Amino acid sequence: MVNDSGQLYTIEGISAGLLMIVTAYLVVSSTTVLTPQDVHITDVQLEQLGNDALAMMDTRDSYEDERSPLQEYILNDDTTTFTQAFLLYCNSSTSVTDMDNLRFKSTINYYNRITKEQANYTYHMPAGYDYYRENAVIVNRWVYLENKPPGAPPDMDSGPQIVLLEVLLWRV
Amino acid sequence: MAGLNDDAQWIILMGFVVSTIIFILALIVSQSALVGQTTSESVLEFSKGDIQDLRSEIIFLKELKQRGLLNDDTLLIYDLQNISMGRMTAVVEVDNWTDEDSRTDFIYIHFNDGITSYNETYEEYY
Repeated sequence: MVNDSGQLYTIEGISAGLLMIVTAYLVVSSTTVLTPQDVHITDVQLEQLGNDALAMMDTRDSYEDERSPLQEYILNDDTTTFTQAFLLYCNSSTSVTDMDNLRFKSTINYYNRITKEQANYTYHMPAGYDYYRENAVIVNRWVYLENKPPGAPPDMDSGPQIVLLEVLLWRV
Repeated sequence: MAGLNDDAQWIILMGFVVSTIIFILALIVSQSALVGQTTSESVLEFSKGDIQDLRSEIIFLKELKQRGLLNDDTLLIYDLQNISMGRMTAVVEVDNWTDEDSRTDFIYIHFNDGITSYNETYEEYY
């Protein structure tokens, strides 16, 4: 003889289970909103890091120095040293051996005083294309140049001028 | 359905109460995520780095002039203004004047990128 006195418990069990599943779904779906927030916080940190690295490179080592290291790199078209220094500053971590994995592309924006237009040339381009999972940020630094770097485009003014070094920075 | 008793009603009631509480907590959690997002967005939009960089560059130009390494910075300020307009969509104004009586050099710096407006009158005694 089949006994149906447990029906109410079955119904309660099913409805409680449904409630738990719905609640879990709501909680999980509302916490996925966290993802864009995380991305923005990393962007802020990346931007700050890049700005600090550039500011550090654009500071003279002593008051007697004619130029900051950054000015020297750009004036002498020394892309290799610039790239090494910038990546070292950006990728340094608290560990001695483990480095962060940042890549960057830098362009120099200058103002053509004859055509009254602004132009730019690439200063450093990473070899090959990288996959990057996070957003890239742009950091800038004004750089004073006493004269035109030898490798600059011919339409760049030859006298003292201010250029804008633009660095597109991303984490690989 | 003989012998049905309602002793377990409070279990169902507690189930509803608990799930409602969890639901409200989930709402609060999602709100905090939104607050964090808007905060970091406004930090990103605030052009702190651009303003600090502009200041340091203009004060550096003044130092160059003081050391006699640069005669006139008019063209350099034009470079700065034009590139700011193009690359950062920011209006930059710079003005210099000297007050002989108080022996003070003034530099007026204005920066406006549509989100942040920054004005400063830098003073230096000579």
